Amino acid sequence: MSKSLGIFVTNPNQFKHIMGITKAAKAKGSNVKVFFTWDSTHNAKKEPEFAELCKIADVSICVDSYKNMGYDIDDIPEGLDASKMATQAQHGIIIEDYDCYLSL
Amino acid sequence: MEYNKVCLMYRNKECVVDGIRSALGLAVENMYAYGCVMDEVEMDKFNELQAESLEMLRDMEGDVFATKAANCEINDLEPITIEELGEKLRDMTHIIPYGII
Amino acid sequence: MKILNVYRSEPDDTTKKLVEIVTRDREADSFDLYVDSPDYDALVDKIFAADQTISWW
Repeated sequence: MSKSLGIFVTNPNQFKHIMGITKAAKAKGSNVKVFFTWDSTHNAKKEPEFAELCKIADVSICVDSYKNMGYDIDDIPEGLDASKMATQAQHGIIIEDYDCYLSL
Repeated sequence: MEYNKVCLMYRNKECVVDGIRSALGLAVENMYAYGCVMDEVEMDKFNELQAESLEMLRDMEGDVFATKAANCEINDLEPITIEELGEKLRDMTHIIPYGII
Repeated sequence: MKILNVYRSEPDDTTKKLVEIVTRDREADSFDLYVDSPDYDALVDKIFAADQTISWW
């Protein structure tokens, strides 16, 4: 069975790599979780493939960061639901519960 | 039980405050969490909330270091050299170069 | 302890110094993510094979 992979995103310019790595990991049967914080939450509104990422991985974003970036927290990005507008605890889950860790 | 030890490193002023918040978030999850402000980043003085975050992090046996003396002075951070940071990183389960440079 | 160093940009002197200390006396591999077309499949294999992955700025 393939290892699981958690990705913690802090850099807003890595989306191409997040998609590439997630697709490659999924092709190997891996379970992938991605958490976006601070200005990487712009990806949720500005990257056309963000909703596609949400279909292939467990994706959540830091709601406090999203608000800090100037977005309305009720304006939930396509692909997410209210439960995925989350806290830094998601990062803790990635560290504790996933076999492999990557920050981008 | 083995606890995770995590160090987040910041090389951009815009990343520091959220990066420390991330460290605090991990400390709350029962991890040893550290932050390090690197390079010539010139920090503003912490506001009350940010200073409280640092205090809470220390209460949970975490800490925030800085390689620049001025940042240590203005925000009561622990001074560290790059070499000392490298040695500290060897002991970490997770090393997180945070944000952008 | 096998460490994978992933470079998101070409490593500068500070990153090189930290990598040198962290990987001292340890098995290490690396992957350049800043090239035009990274081989993501190969990167995932390396991540799965490593005990710790560090993704440097």
